[in-house]
Amino acid sequence: MKKRLIYSCLVLGATLFAGCTKNFDKINTDPNQTNAALINPNFFMSQAQIQFANAGYRQLLFQSCWIQGLASTEGYYTNGDKYVYGGSPQTYIPMVWQDCYGAGTLVYEMKNLIKGNAAYSNLDNCGTILMVMFQQQITDTYGDSPYSEAYQAKSQVYTPKFDKTQDIYTNMLSQLATATAALDATKQGPTSDLFYAGNVAQWKKLGYSLMLRLAMRLTKADAATAQKYAEMAYTGGAMASIADDAKVYCDNADNNPNSSANTFLNNVPDWQGVRWGNTLLSFMKANNDPRIPAVAEITIGNGLAANAAYVPGDNTASKQVGMPNGYDIGGPFDVSKAPGYPGATPANPAINGDGAAEQGLYSRPRFAVYLDRNRANILLTYGQTELLFAEAASRGWATGVAATHFANALAADMQELAELNSTPQAVVDPTAIATYVAAHPLVPATALQQINMEYYVETCTSFNFIEGWNNWKRSGYPALTPVVYPGQFTDGSIPRRVIYPANLSGANPSGLASAIADQGADKFETKVWWDK
Amino acid sequence: MKYFGHLRGVKNRYRLIKSILIMKLILIFLAIFNLQALANVYSQQKVSLNLKSADFKKVITAIQKQTNYHFVFSERKIPPAKNISINVQNENVTSVLDQLLANTEFTYTQLDNNLIVITGKNDVVVNKVITGKVVDEKGIPLPGVSIKVKGTGTGTVSDINGGFSINVADNAVLVISFIGYDTQEISVAGKASINVTLVSSSKNLNEVVVTALGIKKEERKLGYSATTVGAEDFNKVKETNVASSLEGRVAGLQINGTNGGPGSSVRIMLRGVTSQSTGSSSPLFVINGVPMDNTQRGSSGEWGGADYGDGIANINPDDIESMTVLKGQSASALYGSRAANGVILITTKGGKKNSNFGVEYSMNYQMDKVRNDLDYQDIYGQGTLGPTGVQGVKPTDAASAMNDGSLAWGPKLDGSQVIQFDGKMYPYSAVPNNILSFYNTGHTFTNTVAFTGGGDKGSFRFSASDLNNAGVVPNSGMDRKSFNLNTTQSVTDKLDVNLVANYIVDNEKNRTSLSDGPGNPNNVLFLAPNEDQKILAPGYGPTGAETQFTNDNYVTNPYFAAYKFSSTTSRARLITSASAKYNFTTWAYGQVRLGYDIINDKRVDITPTGTGYNAAGNMNQSNGQITELNTDVLFGAKHDLIKDLLNLDLSVGGNIRKAGDEGTGVSGQNNFIIPYFYSLSNFSGRSGSQYFHSRQTNSAYYTADFSIKDYLVLSTTGRYDAYSTLPSNNRGIFSPSVSGSFIFSDLYHVNGLDFGKLRLSYAQTSGEPANPYTDAVYYGLNNSINGVPAASFSLNLPNLFLKPYTLTEIEVGTEMKFWGNRFGFDISYFARKTKNEITQAQLDVSSGYNSYYVGTGSTQNRGIEVELHGTPVKISDFSWTTSFNFTYVKNKILKTDVNNSIEDLGQHFRPFNGAHIAFIPGLPGPQIWASDYLRNSSGQIVYDSQGLPQAGPLQAMGSTVPKIYGGFNNELNYKGFNLSFLIDYRYGNKILSATQYYSIYRGLNQITLPGRETGVVGQGVTASGAPNTTNVPAQTYYQALARQVSGLDVLDGSFIKLRQVSFGYSIPKALLSATPFSAINVSLVGRNLWTIMKRSDNIDPESGFSPNVGYAGIEGTSIPAVRTYGFSVNFKFKN
Repeated sequence: MKKRLIYSCLVLGATLFAGCTKNFDKINTDPNQTNAALINPNFFMSQAQIQFANAGYRQLLFQSCWIQGLASTEGYYTNGDKYVYGGSPQTYIPMVWQDCYGAGTLVYEMKNLIKGNAAYSNLDNCGTILMVMFQQQITDTYGDSPYSEAYQAKSQVYTPKFDKTQDIYTNMLSQLATATAALDATKQGPTSDLFYAGNVAQWKKLGYSLMLRLAMRLTKADAATAQKYAEMAYTGGAMASIADDAKVYCDNADNNPNSSANTFLNNVPDWQGVRWGNTLLSFMKANNDPRIPAVAEITIGNGLAANAAYVPGDNTASKQVGMPNGYDIGGPFDVSKAPGYPGATPANPAINGDGAAEQGLYSRPRFAVYLDRNRANILLTYGQTELLFAEAASRGWATGVAATHFANALAADMQELAELNSTPQAVVDPTAIATYVAAHPLVPATALQQINMEYYVETCTSFNFIEGWNNWKRSGYPALTPVVYPGQFTDGSIPRRVIYPANLSGANPSGLASAIADQGADKFETKVWWDK
Repeated sequence: MKYFGHLRGVKNRYRLIKSILIMKLILIFLAIFNLQALANVYSQQKVSLNLKSADFKKVITAIQKQTNYHFVFSERKIPPAKNISINVQNENVTSVLDQLLANTEFTYTQLDNNLIVITGKNDVVVNKVITGKVVDEKGIPLPGVSIKVKGTGTGTVSDINGGFSINVADNAVLVISFIGYDTQEISVAGKASINVTLVSSSKNLNEVVVTALGIKKEERKLGYSATTVGAEDFNKVKETNVASSLEGRVAGLQINGTNGGPGSSVRIMLRGVTSQSTGSSSPLFVINGVPMDNTQRGSSGEWGGADYGDGIANINPDDIESMTVLKGQSASALYGSRAANGVILITTKGGKKNSNFGVEYSMNYQMDKVRNDLDYQDIYGQGTLGPTGVQGVKPTDAASAMNDGSLAWGPKLDGSQVIQFDGKMYPYSAVPNNILSFYNTGHTFTNTVAFTGGGDKGSFRFSASDLNNAGVVPNSGMDRKSFNLNTTQSVTDKLDVNLVANYIVDNEKNRTSLSDGPGNPNNVLFLAPNEDQKILAPGYGPTGAETQFTNDNYVTNPYFAAYKFSSTTSRARLITSASAKYNFTTWAYGQVRLGYDIINDKRVDITPTGTGYNAAGNMNQSNGQITELNTDVLFGAKHDLIKDLLNLDLSVGGNIRKAGDEGTGVSGQNNFIIPYFYSLSNFSGRSGSQYFHSRQTNSAYYTADFSIKDYLVLSTTGRYDAYSTLPSNNRGIFSPSVSGSFIFSDLYHVNGLDFGKLRLSYAQTSGEPANPYTDAVYYGLNNSINGVPAASFSLNLPNLFLKPYTLTEIEVGTEMKFWGNRFGFDISYFARKTKNEITQAQLDVSSGYNSYYVGTGSTQNRGIEVELHGTPVKISDFSWTTSFNFTYVKNKILKTDVNNSIEDLGQHFRPFNGAHIAFIPGLPGPQIWASDYLRNSSGQIVYDSQGLPQAGPLQAMGSTVPKIYGGFNNELNYKGFNLSFLIDYRYGNKILSATQYYSIYRGLNQITLPGRETGVVGQGVTASGAPNTTNVPAQTYYQALARQVSGLDVLDGSFIKLRQVSFGYSIPKALLSATPFSAINVSLVGRNLWTIMKRSDNIDPESGFSPNVGYAGIEGTSIPAVRTYGFSVNFKFKN
């Protein structure tokens, strides 16, 4: 009896022991994170904005050099400068994909959290504008990509289908039209907004400027649609001054440094081996562009040590020379063999072990302007908008007077440099601007060239290289000569696309296969749908 | 000993005086003498007799003359025979007596002090009370010992003090038996009291092993495989991580260290890759019955980082008495989910009751010398292709020298003077021993002193140990101090308490960055043959900034990395366990146990000002705490259900485990305000981070062993776990196990077969998610941006429908021992399979997430384990014992995610151009997924228009985990000398080698020699099918080859190694008489001395930078393998 009692107690005790789990839900709740009930959905917008804006290597390693805005002799820049793999291409190839879909995930979640809540209607529509902005960069870079089924892993859509670029554009334009029109300045705007601090009217202008940019991408592929939406954007009211520019100022103290500036400041080779491209600088010099001293400088002092030093250089316009793409140091295409090579700066004998700086007399991005970790990333500008309206008008579409737009754009693009950071060094003298604008009227016969060359200069000088590359693909300006170098990953032509991230072959093989079937081989020279 | 014997004898004598009157005279003699040491001690004396027609008395007198024996008998009570003829030569006295007394009415009893008593067989059968005490060899009382009267059903068991009393006939024989001890039969004739010393069952035959939850069981009866490794195997040659010492010693167990310096983590795998977890494969470590934390503190990935060691690395090998590896699931089922990877039980040394105060000191000094596995070409020197020509040119100025960095594509070394990156001229000739001269000789000096003692009621052991290490990488090392206290105390007759405390203070300086990341000094392994590493010193210039020697600023100057980068880690850890055991009766007890492991870690990492890739510098400091609290109760009872036929050994208990880790970190990025001043105060802004994880598991369990007559045992266990990490509707799971053993040698006697057992087991255990908080969506705040708040969330999609996964295993085995244990073997076959494995399936980010948790994984392992052991030679002064173990494991990934797709483990190591590691359904995991040459349909290599090889599609190239492995251990003893050596081996695994990639890309590898001066025309065809005729400069060709054909980096990881040798000498006791020492042992030791066979050029096949399963077999730019030599001395002081 006694034994039986003991055993019963044991079994009972053990059961209670294991069964007492009522505090488990609390234990399994992360005290450092919050949930849907408490989070402010606005906060995802700011995070998405900085993630998307802070492009850094995303655009420096490929597109900046592909369009010859920058040139470099450095190892991992060979991907851009020479279309030859260098460094970690497997990490560079998916950068646009990961950054844009990553930012899109945040916005998608935000939109889900506020779905059906009228108080958040502006936030929801601003979210749509952001989603279009992100998706455009994806599809312009890779072509066919997940869109209609994207972001839905929570609903068990783990392998979203790849939509055709054309379908994506069609849908983006209609989404944008609806969302932009629905923005209501009388209602609450976004409260955690790095673009406009919640100014809904400015968001509306951004919506139409973005619509214009989407529309103009289609000038070759679908001119009718392009015209329809360009005109809609014009009617709707796009950006009207540089104050409307979409940009994000970085914040180094809070560990959100400008990733391009950070790259240059952290890596001596990036700083001493990356130069303005000769294609860009020659064009600017030929036009006596007053932006030259604001954006370019050469190293003061001789030798590698001086070339590596983080100090301002000499920005005298006449001394500036861009470095041609396709050269290396000590290899088969040593930069000293480049036409018009300005010579090396000799080693500084005062510094032990100093060497000659072969790129020492080529112009680099200005230290004071570009190497500021709090610098703005400029995403979409009034100047770009005016240029695209000018082109639309030149094509005879109802978007105003081309010459006026062009003149506005020139002035805006020059003033815009002062938005990069707070240094007065980036301010272009207003008189010089006026003189330049007056000297460069839009000539109908050369309108497309003038407009798109300015688009090229604007995107390069604002370090918005991906946009510059896309507009080059569309417009054909500037006319670029591909570099010749052994071991290129293209057939010798300049890449017009980025190949798909390698992980897709495992993570979404059917989607990948359908994209290749639709669009052609997964190569850098394959064109996306609108690139004719 | 003799002294004590006398004392006890005296005591007995007084007790017996009362009985004198009722006893015969001879019995008084019996009572005088201590009966503890029985016959066998004195039965060695031999006699030679040749008598004819003698009477019994005469024979006895003759024996007395030749020996020390004295006979006691009554004149009337001796055999009357007068006609005895006897002729024996050198015969034992006892056997002579046996002959003499055969078929008589008489018998004899042999006593202490050489007395032999002769009595009549039927002499006075009196019932009497025999009292006695049972102790073990150390004098510790044994409770619960079975004392039975031979041939009858009566019996008793010893009490808590080992004492017993039993009413028996005077001529009865007592059968005294206890688990783990040799059964003794003792005649009580003439005795009133007996003291029994039970001797542990002869080694291996009847060993008691500590099994799950600390329950002791007879090894012979186990229905599963468990292997115990004793202290001698890890004490002599010390590894800074004691787990490394298990390598090659246990069938089924595979150990792989990390080339990360002293105290680095190890990857431990029992019976293959258990599951598709890419993280730790570590078994659960249980120290003195209580689980301890074995968290990996941080390891290198493909982008660099250091190995910060694991939990087991903290344990001082000198404190360990034994480690028992529970391999099968039925062995470890009582630990539930945490045992899915097996269990290793550690028993630490303790004191002994009734022992004198003892002092033991041991000292161990070991040197580590880097082994040069590199076999680079030394014909062509530094340089790269110039504007013309097919052969590279030497550097022409400092800048081109820097640009050529580590490239060895230059012309033939000719001894001419060539400029280097520093602007100075050096001979263009191969530098001998270049790499080895960068690394130091490592030193490890370990001193341990231990104090032991014990009285009637308790015992203790206290040890203090200091390990001081200087690593082979300059300016690195560690210091570990351990204090270990183990005390036991009997509070009352029935209550014992035990307290174990282990305190560890561990300080590490400059854990070396590994792999393909910056700040890694091991880039010294990739210098062109003529680049003298010495000219890289001191690594910094006059300003303090790094002296870069290549144009890749992520290749940090090795001296700058070693001397200017700073990483200090410190850990204070207390592992305690306290238990109280109450014996209700001799056959039932209750136990309460509390185990607490608390770890405090601090780490400061500084990327100094002037670093090539980060001129502005960074600094991080983090503090973390890990805790593991286990509270358990256990009730045990052991009783015959049917007397002498069916016994039940039952334990029932429960456990609450609370585990957590939390920490905070502060970092400053990208700008020390004042350069070269390293403080977190020296940043304009700092970012902070914090983490907190906690989990709880409530469990209840039982184990019941039914044994029939000791040769057929059926065991069953069951455990119910409720996990806090799982959603409330799916929180609990029951895991059962059944095992049986049949000792057939007890049933059928076969000549020469001492022991034979068949065993069979089935078990199921369960597992929980590796991390808490995976079943809900969380949002976290990020740093604000210019004052604007920002938030984000994990891109690992949570799953609200998770349930625990299960692992099912069947094991069949047999164990046999022959010829007095001169030879034996143990063979197991196991088949295990997981179901509903929770894997983090990879998603493409376009789905919104990078991964999702999914419970679809299934992994299968099948294998055979063989252990052979034997003593081939055993002659008077010499013996040779040997053991050999062999394991074959066939792993197969049955199912990954829902679509059963290839599960990319994400290890996209930079050099491999898409090659990586993956779990591929149908193949053993983890597989190398790499490219062969692009080939056409007829298998010819297709070159591109420039004559360069191209990458074919990625394909499976073999598993990174060995299929076959094991060890061969030998021990030779001659007098005081002892030589032991261990050879271990591994077959069937592949390595993805970054060293191979870099050495080809940089022109260091010998395969890049053909065509250096003429260019290379690849053997194969062009896209059109025409033969390829394009001549390509060697550098262009081989660099393209390295980039494209990642399959070239897949090497064979097989090896045979002489793992460990020790040669020891015990100074004879005679020589120590004048010293304060009772024993001195001196050993010369060595580890990793000789790679007998390997198939991987330029690397040690065991190289690796991470202990994680996902990185198994990936190597590159870590610390070279080392050879270890040293000596150890052990002193025992006289009591």
